[in-house]
Amino acid sequence: MIWHIVKKDFLLNIFSARFIIGVLLCIILIPFTISVSIDEYKNQLRIYAVDKENSEKELKQIKVYSGLKPELIKYPEPLGILYKGINQNVGNKVKIYLQEYPLFPTGHASTRDNPLLNAFFSLDFITVLSLVLSLLALVFSYDLITREHEEGTLRLIFSNYTGRIPFLIGKITGVLLSLLPILFFCFLLSTLFIVLSPDIKLQISDWIRVAILFIFSILYILVFILMGTIISAFVKSSSTAIVLSMLCWIWFVFLWPVSGSYLSKSIVKTDLYDNVRNSLDDLDKEYGKLEGEQWGAIQKRLNMRGTNWWNASGGEDGYFETYGSPSETMEFHRQLNTWKEPIRLSYADRKWPVQKAYLDGLIRQQKMEKNLSWFSPSEILVQAVSCLCRSSEKDFLRYMDETRQYRETLVTYLKDRNLFEKYIYFTPQDPATFVSTADFIKGNNNVPDHFNTLDLKEVPTFIDIPAAIDTSLKDSFTGIAALILISIILFSGSIIVFNRYQLR
Amino acid sequence: MLQAIDLTKRYEDQELALDALNLEIKEGEIFFLLGANGAGKTTTINLFLNFIEPTGGKALINGIDVTKEPLESKKYVSYVSENVMLYGNFTARQNLDFFAKLGGKPNLSKEDYYMQMREVGLQEEAFEKKIKTFSKGMRQKVGLTIAIIKDAPNILLDEPTAGLDPKAAAELMQILVNLKRQGKSIFMCTHDIFRAKNIADRVGIMKEGRLVMVRTREEFLEDDLEKIYMNYMQEMVIEK
Ligand SMILES: Nc1ncnc2c1ncn2[C@@H]1O[C@H](COP(=O)(O)OP(=O)(O)OP(=O)(O)O)[C@@H](O)[C@H]1O
Ligand SMILES: [Mg+2]
Repeated sequence: MIWHIVKKDFLLNIFSARFIIGVLLCIILIPFTISVSIDEYKNQLRIYAVDKENSEKELKQIKVYSGLKPELIKYPEPLGILYKGINQNVGNKVKIYLQEYPLFPTGHASTRDNPLLNAFFSLDFITVLSLVLSLLALVFSYDLITREHEEGTLRLIFSNYTGRIPFLIGKITGVLLSLLPILFFCFLLSTLFIVLSPDIKLQISDWIRVAILFIFSILYILVFILMGTIISAFVKSSSTAIVLSMLCWIWFVFLWPVSGSYLSKSIVKTDLYDNVRNSLDDLDKEYGKLEGEQWGAIQKRLNMRGTNWWNASGGEDGYFETYGSPSETMEFHRQLNTWKEPIRLSYADRKWPVQKAYLDGLIRQQKMEKNLSWFSPSEILVQAVSCLCRSSEKDFLRYMDETRQYRETLVTYLKDRNLFEKYIYFTPQDPATFVSTADFIKGNNNVPDHFNTLDLKEVPTFIDIPAAIDTSLKDSFTGIAALILISIILFSGSIIVFNRYQLR
Repeated sequence: MLQAIDLTKRYEDQELALDALNLEIKEGEIFFLLGANGAGKTTTINLFLNFIEPTGGKALINGIDVTKEPLESKKYVSYVSENVMLYGNFTARQNLDFFAKLGGKPNLSKEDYYMQMREVGLQEEAFEKKIKTFSKGMRQKVGLTIAIIKDAPNILLDEPTAGLDPKAAAELMQILVNLKRQGKSIFMCTHDIFRAKNIADRVGIMKEGRLVMVRTREEFLEDDLEKIYMNYMQEMVIEK
């Protein structure tokens, strides 16, 4: 019985004008968006290659450990082609400093060749899909019942041994089945584009993710079909139904997501980053004062008049390098480093709670936005998809955690080898060749001006471990559960509404 | 067999659309229900099909109470509606096929459908044409074919001759007579006194929800049915 209705609706739908329009819409939109995304991804790959090369080159040139500030470059996420998510908001570089924990990356995530074109509104596959599919689902289902009513077939059907619930199930399945070819076509098209791009390599697990995406999309379509069904069972005429459906579409797909992020910003206030930066700078200043005092103390202890430098250079985050300076100065710096690096690390630990509080504020805001998004199926889909495409805020936060952990290992490495207390921390010069102050004043500081770079083979390297598929699934679980729950609620609702439907 | 026992319907807070209808239509009987627009004819059919809930009384199809066992009762009734639209993008045959399957006849062949359509006088070339190209009368014939194919013991027809040309209407009457010979109970609402006179076994006149008169064939052939009808309608005009 159900099957006859499914078959009938499937046949009627796939030979309808709206089906052809749907397919045309996909033929136009999907190749366009996916090729734009692929193009952007290639760009990111190029940027990655350049950044990576620079960062490696920089590392290769360092001669003292105080200059060891590895810069981590994030490999662009290939699934970002399907859904950009957070990756388009955050940078791709994280520099590891001792005096501060990394909080946000710097650099560009996606730069177009021409910065003037940056304002270009680039969509991605999932965003387009969520727009098109919800629209099509509503366009196919708004007259699910009203049309049968208007053509008199509803009465004819129910003059037979047909229950209302089987009828409803049959109709809904019929629409779902007619939309599946369109959905499949969209995925096929984008897959083809990806497969045919030589630069893009997806792992098998990535393809599994794509397959799961497909299933998510089916669920998403179902939600909108059920929405159309309720509307169709609620009103008497197709014209009212289409107006209501379009209002729903605009509300759930455009208005709510936009107002959701606006609302979350006004409900949960966060500190301005400038304020956070100011408190961090205050701590830096406090440390600066301490260091100044320490200079005097060490000089006093060493009975020095002052420091004499030769070939000294310095930079950010305690980087200081010298050679040819008198042994007294060298000793001064050794003692200074011995004192200062642990203190700088402890200041980083003190700065972290401030940073963390700020980050927590941002996360709270994001959570609020996420909670508000439970009212919009398209937002739920996008959240679930972002986890699957490793483009969610969770993936980002995990990555930043990893970078902080890496900083920790790097610190442990330096500490374990007592490198802060060693000359090599600031001078490439062999201590045996240090000159005395007297010689130095005479100009007797005959030291080679070429030194070997550090052998960093044993320095721990950063390994980015992107979320495994089970983690991603776990992350997206609530979203999917929500879509299923909404489907169940809408389906029950449509049964209740349709059971009260007057057949006269 | 169709039975109405004190069948009553009141839409929301309006006046009674059907006032305690008592009626029985036996196997092999054709009953014509006459009445002005708004008299309550369609309401009666809706009640038999359980499309609306009765306010009181009950409707039985082959002894089955339609409100108690709505699904089961549908097995024993076919229905030809006032204005059969059907699925415009399906051909006549596809429409038949769909409704035959719903009606519990899953194993009919193309030839069976063709034969039935020929029977109701649909031209051969229309069989595989989309319904949206059909005239009202042609659609009506397909609707009738659907009812015939279901082969239920009771048939409810709501003004089936509206829109049919005289020849087609005459053919329909012949079909109804044939169905009656097969032992089916036929309940037809109509404004067509002429056809009623021709084939009805009994005729009822409904007025403002009340079945005000029932005459058997012998009775209404004695008096002029048209005159009787007009008399009843006149009263209504005078009352108002
Ligand atoms: N859905 C409805 N809601 C409210 N009142 C209704 C509804 N359907 C019919 N009625 C009322 O019930 C009464 C009987 O209507 P019904 O449709 O049964 O008349 P009918 O005899 O079939 O008329 P017609 O010859 O025009 O088809 C009318 O007064 C009508 O206004
Ligand atoms: Mg009527």
